[in-house]
Amino acid sequence: MSNDTDWLVGAGLALSAIAATAMLQPSPPRRLERKPASLPSRPGPHPRASVRAARRLNRAAGMLAASVLADSSVEHYRGSFKNKAMYTPLAVSALTLAMSAHGTADRRPWAHRLRDGSYLLAAATGLIGTGFHVYNVTRKVGGFSWQNLFYGAPLGAPMAILLSGLLGFCSERVRDTSRAQRPHVFGLPAARTIAAVTAAGLLGTSGEAGLLHFRGAFHNPFMAVPVTLPPVGAALLFKAAARDPGDDKTRRHPLTRAWMWLLAAMGFAGVGFHAYGVSRNMGGWRNWSQNILAGPPLPAPPSFTGLALAGLAALGLMREHPDA
Amino acid sequence: MFVDISDDPQATPRAMAGRAPDVFRPGGWVPMRCHRDDEPVDFVIVGTGAGGGTLACKLAEYGFSVVALDAGPYFRPLEDFASDEAEQTKLYWTDDRITDGANPLQLGSNNSGKAVGGSTVHFAMVSLRLRPEWFKSRTLLGYGADWPIDWREMWTYYEEVEQALKISGPITYPWGPKRPRYPYRAHPLNAAARVLARGCEALGISWTETPLATLSAPRGLAHPCVYRGFCVAGCSTNAKQSALVTWIPRALAAGAEIRDLAMAGRIEVDDDDRVTGVHYHREGRWRFQRARNVVVAGYAIETPRLLLNSATDRHRDGLANSSGLVGKYLMTQSNQAVWGLMDDEIRSYKGPPSLAITEHWNYEDNGKDFFGGYAYMSQGPLPQLWANTLAQARGLWGARLVEEMTNYNHVAGLKIVGEMLPQERNCVTLADEVDQYGLRIPRVTYSWCDNDRRLIDHSLAFMTRALQAAGAKDIWAQEDDTCHLNGTARMGDDPRSSVVDADCRSWDIPNLWICDGSVFPTVGGVNPSLTIQAIACRTADRIHAMARRGELTGSSRRAAQTRTASQMA
Ligand SMILES: Cc1cc2nc3c(=O)[nH]c(=O)nc-3n(C[C@H](O)[C@H](O)[C@H](O)COP(=O)(O)OP(=O)(O)OC[C@H]3O[C@@H](n4cnc5c(N)ncnc54)[C@H](O)[C@@H]3O)c2cc1C
Ligand code: SF4
Repeated sequence: MSNDTDWLVGAGLALSAIAATAMLQPSPPRRLERKPASLPSRPGPHPRASVRAARRLNRAAGMLAASVLADSSVEHYRGSFKNKAMYTPLAVSALTLAMSAHGTADRRPWAHRLRDGSYLLAAATGLIGTGFHVYNVTRKVGGFSWQNLFYGAPLGAPMAILLSGLLGFCSERVRDTSRAQRPHVFGLPAARTIAAVTAAGLLGTSGEAGLLHFRGAFHNPFMAVPVTLPPVGAALLFKAAARDPGDDKTRRHPLTRAWMWLLAAMGFAGVGFHAYGVSRNMGGWRNWSQNILAGPPLPAPPSFTGLALAGLAALGLMREHPDA
Repeated sequence: MFVDISDDPQATPRAMAGRAPDVFRPGGWVPMRCHRDDEPVDFVIVGTGAGGGTLACKLAEYGFSVVALDAGPYFRPLEDFASDEAEQTKLYWTDDRITDGANPLQLGSNNSGKAVGGSTVHFAMVSLRLRPEWFKSRTLLGYGADWPIDWREMWTYYEEVEQALKISGPITYPWGPKRPRYPYRAHPLNAAARVLARGCEALGISWTETPLATLSAPRGLAHPCVYRGFCVAGCSTNAKQSALVTWIPRALAAGAEIRDLAMAGRIEVDDDDRVTGVHYHREGRWRFQRARNVVVAGYAIETPRLLLNSATDRHRDGLANSSGLVGKYLMTQSNQAVWGLMDDEIRSYKGPPSLAITEHWNYEDNGKDFFGGYAYMSQGPLPQLWANTLAQARGLWGARLVEEMTNYNHVAGLKIVGEMLPQERNCVTLADEVDQYGLRIPRVTYSWCDNDRRLIDHSLAFMTRALQAAGAKDIWAQEDDTCHLNGTARMGDDPRSSVVDADCRSWDIPNLWICDGSVFPTVGGVNPSLTIQAIACRTADRIHAMARRGELTGSSRRAAQTRTASQMA
């Protein structure tokens, strides 16, 4: 077991290092007093639009974090928290959730240090968690086999907290640049970057659902829904991200928006389907304490809702900022 | 709904008066079409297991009128099955039998069931295809006998059965010609299966997840497997895709009648050498069901017994026995094991008993000093069975047995299903004693041949190495177990050297059929039930085709068909 402890210590160190760097960053200059003089002269929308988009992104990040919190609690409980590091995603996603709630309520047009730090921590947790899960899969007899992909630690699952962190981080950048000529993330146009990140997230999450639904042999035709609708949504988002910034007519993306709403609804409906799936195990809901662990994961589908909300935030920003 | 406390399925028949138990709903019933005894039905089938249950379903779905008799009870798995090994011995055929020979078989739990659904109610669900060459093992491999069926045709019927049972299996199967994807995904491996895998990887041979007839995802009203490992004591969740929860419900829906607690004692044959029906015992009296065709599917001991017990003056050696081979060429399969202790906890009883398999020595012919092949699988004995094994194979008793049982959670084992060669001297005959119905009981004679022994020795040596390589300690071999039974009414191309033809139709009596494990000319090194069911599906297709061509009636196989087949059309 010393191997595992090493991992644990390493991971703990890495995490605290990342968190510390984030926290120690100088706080964003508060320039409230500086009157947004350039605003009237600048073509384009009010910074409030950016803040609105940022808050929507906080909400999306929170949605994902909530899904991760519930999912990792159940799954890691099922794995008896055999490794202490298995508590990490619970703590981190709880923190991310709280920070996202804070962000959703916060109307101020600048990033928040603590939020920023916790979003970075979430992203790092996702990356390291993926490492853990890959290690768990390869260590099993058979290595990278269908058996271990199906039943080992799910490779895609930690990606959800990574996405939550990324979206949250983007949200803070959008706030931070709300009064700039165009909101941006690391110099890239914010809305389109977020749309692309969200699209990639949709593809990954859909891949994860595909793997697990394949494990379930797609025994119910509805199991095909989360592997068909999200990739279409991802394609639409990618298309929106790649649009010509000069063309005002293409900025509304009604189909893409509608599709995002569809995906958001699908995420919630998925919980219902999974609840039905739980009921089909021996003893049904009367035997809930066992069947919630044995049946399809109830908290997994809302991660689609989280991503769809992020997509909507990006689209909203795009609509209001011609070159975001 | 009221609960009938006198509802003991072993005392009173359940499938009566237009209804049969609904195995998926506690206390539920499904409608059942019923026939009068004096109303000749198209088919009476004796036995409702892997062979009879499958055939009853397929024939009913083709529109034939079918009555299927089973000597055993009609269980409701959700209600009648306890997680208790002793209680569940009610699933076994434990009527009196005599065994002898140099290696007398131990009959009962490990080889025969008595229930609607037959032995599949407590089988271990391993669902394997025969190696293609085995269908021509005499011609291609130089031993045993050829089957009268081509492997490619069997491949399509295997697929049909795998779909019907929603077999869960690996994405790619390492051995033999390409097969279609299994309908359900493989189950998670337990620790015992991972021991097998580690041994194989250390010795450089392939292994895979065992294709199993238990659900890895829901199916209709059947629940997915809960991995409690009571499979060979009867599955109480309906995850196990036994004939009782697959073919039989389909058969009922298609209009077949199932009669439980109905023991067939004699098949009636007229002066034209055609069977006319079956005498059977139910509710305390003998009755006679008239039929245009009779199918015997009572498993490799009861099938020849019924044929032999039906002897008349014209058929002195029993029915369908002009070749003298009814009851001959009985084949069991070797079921030897090696066991050892692992440092880690294994809890091998978690999950279906044989989650991982290697068929390496079925497909590899180099390095063998014997004919035939064997597969070996991981094991998960329940505690009572394990205590019995220790007592019998190692003579442990008292304090030593108790002490050894404390290692139970650390035991891992590998067990073969090995091919035994067909020998004429291994046979089922009639003893003079009679059973509770007044029927002469079977005498089962069995002796291993040198080849059988060489195969066993090879397997034990190899598995010992595998278990060592996987890190087991205190390894010991269990040397004398056997399992499945086959042969005794072999199929073939020549009426002089076989009992039935490729369509399971007896050479001597054109409206008498045999459709179960008895018809195997060889057994191969895999568990037989998938093949039995595939043969039953094929037989149903053949009967359907013959009926359409008007070939089902006629008094003699080689004589010109004189009568028309209007009654079957
Ligand atoms: C413990 C155990 C584990 C097994 N595991 C596997 C496995 O993992 N994989 C596999 O492929 N196979 C397995 N088998 C073997 C498999 O179950 C049998 O090979 C198969 O069921 C045989 O099919 P059958 O139709 O010939 O006979 P059965 O399925 O045994 O059906 C015969 C039926 O006929 C009835 N019957 C017999 N005589 C009469 C009569 N005179 N009147 C009325 N009814 C009668 C019996 O009651 C019985 O229900 C296992 C068997 C056992 C016992
Ligand atoms: S382990 Fe699965 S197949 Fe076996 S008895 Fe339990 S539920 Fe049935």
